[in-house]
Amino acid sequence: MHRISLVLQEGVLKSYFPTSKIKRKGESELIWTHSISPTPLSNSYKIKLHYLRYNGVNVYVTEPKLALAPGKDKLPHVYSTPEQRLCLYYPDGIEWNVGKLYVKTLIPWASEWLYHYEIWLGTGVWHGGGIGHETEAEKQEQKQKEDIIDEGTKDKRTRF
Amino acid sequence: MISTEGKNQFNEIFEELGKTLDITEEEHNAAVKSYVFVGEWLAEPESSLNPYKPEILPQGSFMLGTIVRPVNENEDLDIDLVCQLVGKRPEWTQYNVKNKVGDRLKDHVTLKRLLKKEEGRRCWTLEYADSANFHMDILPSIVSRDYKIILEKAFTSRELENIDRLAIRITDKEENNYRTEANPELWLKSNPFGYGKWFHQQATLEFQKAFSLKESVKPVPTYQKEKSPLQRVVQILKRHRNIMFNGDEDKPISIIITTLAARAYRKETHVIEALLNVIKQMPNEIKERYVSEVGKPIKWIANPVNEQENFADKWPENPQKQINFYKWMEQVSVDIYNALDKHGLSNIQEALEKPFGEKTINTVFSNYGEKMRLLRESGNMKMAASTGLIGMSGRTNIPPHSNFGEDA
Repeated sequence: MHRISLVLQEGVLKSYFPTSKIKRKGESELIWTHSISPTPLSNSYKIKLHYLRYNGVNVYVTEPKLALAPGKDKLPHVYSTPEQRLCLYYPDGIEWNVGKLYVKTLIPWASEWLYHYEIWLGTGVWHGGGIGHETEAEKQEQKQKEDIIDEGTKDKRTRF
Repeated sequence: MISTEGKNQFNEIFEELGKTLDITEEEHNAAVKSYVFVGEWLAEPESSLNPYKPEILPQGSFMLGTIVRPVNENEDLDIDLVCQLVGKRPEWTQYNVKNKVGDRLKDHVTLKRLLKKEEGRRCWTLEYADSANFHMDILPSIVSRDYKIILEKAFTSRELENIDRLAIRITDKEENNYRTEANPELWLKSNPFGYGKWFHQQATLEFQKAFSLKESVKPVPTYQKEKSPLQRVVQILKRHRNIMFNGDEDKPISIIITTLAARAYRKETHVIEALLNVIKQMPNEIKERYVSEVGKPIKWIANPVNEQENFADKWPENPQKQINFYKWMEQVSVDIYNALDKHGLSNIQEALEKPFGEKTINTVFSNYGEKMRLLRESGNMKMAASTGLIGMSGRTNIPPHSNFGEDA
């Protein structure tokens, strides 16, 4: 797989979202923040996409604090409810990998997640589809990270 | 003020609401199958009605395409039908015609069991409570020998002239001549098919084929999944009425709602635009007429196919009906504009739950969610640049992904 450089990711992000904020440290880290709305009648949500080398990429809803549907104690399809870190794809290295553009994958998926979140909030049921169980997806993601670390870099894993 | 995009989205939501209120194809087919059976039973050679070619045709909301599911799922769907006889024995009075139909129904073991014990003023009622949840009001009537041709012609032309020729003669237990009069020319007149033609004329958009018009008066109409904006508006209004006046005798009646909405409708092509215009204009479609018996002007909602008939004729003797009608109109406005003011899909959902029913609205938004999922799975979902809006249009195609790991 051919890795897309962060310089290129940044350029494309700027082109799609001219008013968004981007911070990039060479080829090791990129943080993109922007407010998006999944549909005209939806609320606006502040999204943070954070790529950190050797740690992969994470997508968060930073604002507002997302309300929960009646009777639920956590958000659907997230890795972490307090962090509001979204689970957007099956981490098998095929649906998403560093050879794909954020604007064509993670960002539209996040918008779609927000749409289904609003429907979930009202109906209490997730209608966005998806696969298996959180544990499965998380396990897979965890494994990927371990693989990256095993590849022999003495990288400081800032997260976790 | 709401944006064009926002309006389009509301349109999708109200369209979905109309679909949710409508009967399903299975229910439609079950109802048709049941009444076709009744028609065939009435027409069998050993039936005394056989010489008069009895036929059962849908009328009312089933014909107009404005039927709505009952609020309570245990309640029955009402299906209004006409039982047409081409002529009759010269000596038969209204009483005879009504009972010839009733007797023949009672000759069949099952139909006898389904027949409601108390006979209606004009109808026989079959209650299909166990097998399917509907009941059918069957209105015995007499038509002329060439009625079929007249009807066929009327429904292929765009003119409304001679609509009176579509009138049928019916029996009515409360008429003084019920047991004596054998000349149908002196019986009560009713014009359900004339009304149907008028309504469809109001509802049909230029680019739609006249298909639905002809189709709707056939004994076996095919199920129509897509409805015109006016049909959807009437369904939405009737539902609002059903929720607000659940069981109240003095609720605004369907024929008034349907007539005023059809008069107010200006061929808007979107449900939301049609709805907003109709709720604004409906009250203006109520006229006043001086009636000498009452000694003052009264509210007048004319039957479009018979100017002399006032659908609001009960209002003077029962003012609560009039009060309720205006109260209801105001509430519809308040509720619709309240939803239009909301932002965030779950807030819009919440605003619609009270006026249209929690369960129904929940279904509407669930279906709406499913639609977006199907759009993604088809690979046709796109995202707009800068806003991140997703839908059918946009700059970037969203690749399918089996996303969202866990189901909460």
